[in-house]
Amino acid sequence: MSEAILRADGVHKQYGELEVLRGVTFEVARGEVKVIIGPSGSGKSTLLRCLALLEEPEAGEVSLEGRRPAAGEVGMVFQRFNLFQNMTALANVMVGLTDVRRLSKREARDQATEFLERVGLRDKAEQYPDELSGGQQQRVAIARALVMRPKAMLFDEPTSALDVELVREVLDVMEGLAREGMTMVVVSHELRFAHHVASSILMMDDGVVIEEAPPAEFFSAPKHERTRRFLALVE
Amino acid sequence: MSLAVAVVLGFLLALGRMSRRRSVRSFCATYNWLFRATPTLLQLIFIWDALPQLWPVFAGSWFTPFLAAFIALSLNEAAYMAEIVRAGLLSVDPGQELAGRALGMSRRQILRRVVVPQAVRVIIPPTGNEFITLLKLTSLASVISVHELLTAANQLAAVRFQFAEVYAAALVYYLVLVSLLMLVQSRLEARFTWSSARRRRRVAPVPSVAHDAR
Repeated sequence: MSEAILRADGVHKQYGELEVLRGVTFEVARGEVKVIIGPSGSGKSTLLRCLALLEEPEAGEVSLEGRRPAAGEVGMVFQRFNLFQNMTALANVMVGLTDVRRLSKREARDQATEFLERVGLRDKAEQYPDELSGGQQQRVAIARALVMRPKAMLFDEPTSALDVELVREVLDVMEGLAREGMTMVVVSHELRFAHHVASSILMMDDGVVIEEAPPAEFFSAPKHERTRRFLALVE
Repeated sequence: MSLAVAVVLGFLLALGRMSRRRSVRSFCATYNWLFRATPTLLQLIFIWDALPQLWPVFAGSWFTPFLAAFIALSLNEAAYMAEIVRAGLLSVDPGQELAGRALGMSRRQILRRVVVPQAVRVIIPPTGNEFITLLKLTSLASVISVHELLTAANQLAAVRFQFAEVYAAALVYYLVLVSLLMLVQSRLEARFTWSSARRRRRVAPVPSVAHDAR
């Protein structure tokens, strides 16, 4: 149970002169949900991108079950959904199966429909992204990542671009996933979600993890002065 | 026909401008600079009159004025199309490319399935403009003795002294040709609109104004 499935080991990343990650080490065990918080510019999103192999770190390593993750093995959900605008909801979920996994159209359609059903959007299969609400788009994006059967899911501020009343439907889907035992890393300032769902919470500042603790401890007795100040601002 | 070649060449040039290889990027940039910085008329005359002197292969009888005009207009138009295509490719939100990579799609797959179809929507209206401009530029080809529409009208008018009738007929021909192009354009635009509402909502044709005489 406590075996680490996803690991970041001394990850450094810089853009030109700017050092965004300055040696981040952490691990996620199977079925754990880690929530990362921290001020903007602290390197949270960059860390997720490194974990998803969208960025190549200058130093350090990212590993999934002890090796480099393959295509689609780490699912990623973005703040701005990033759905393919020229495809229907169904086609968005299918494209990874047909183009990356090389499944037949029929097989892909069946599986994609099943995953749309899971996020409660089966009836929106033929709609284009610009006809869906933000919450619906984000749920399609979650289905698009899930259909690849990832071993871990990364969420980069999945609700911060949403209207308040649409946040809940996305968090519900994420909570369902956590209950089913999905390994997740979530960058989010939804502290209630963190409190209920997270196995532990990480505080990042200035390119390093400065504190990690289970939610109860993290919120009641933050060790770091920086964490205390940040929590006061977010709440 | 020149436009078809120009669209293909323009696409390649636009992709070349975004290539990871520096030599490819600078070749494409130089091409664009060369063909956009010199007048079309001069390019036309250069290819017809000067090329055979520089390069004897072009001195053969196979090198007709029509072929020369075709080559000149294609090469010239490709440079303009390259910029239009590049703008189209850049207009697609890079977040979608990121999402494609997160799914494990290759650069080519992302380009083909996601970026190009969306770029096409942006590219169509200015391409309509280019097409119309090109159609009118064919009248330049008369200087290298290609028998195009305006030349034909001129000759007919000179023979019969019926300027009003002949030129009016030429105008009508141009109008018909351009109107056909505009019809094709609005069809294409409707085809590349990503919304299931498009079946209900008829897309109004975007008026195409070609005003630049190059």
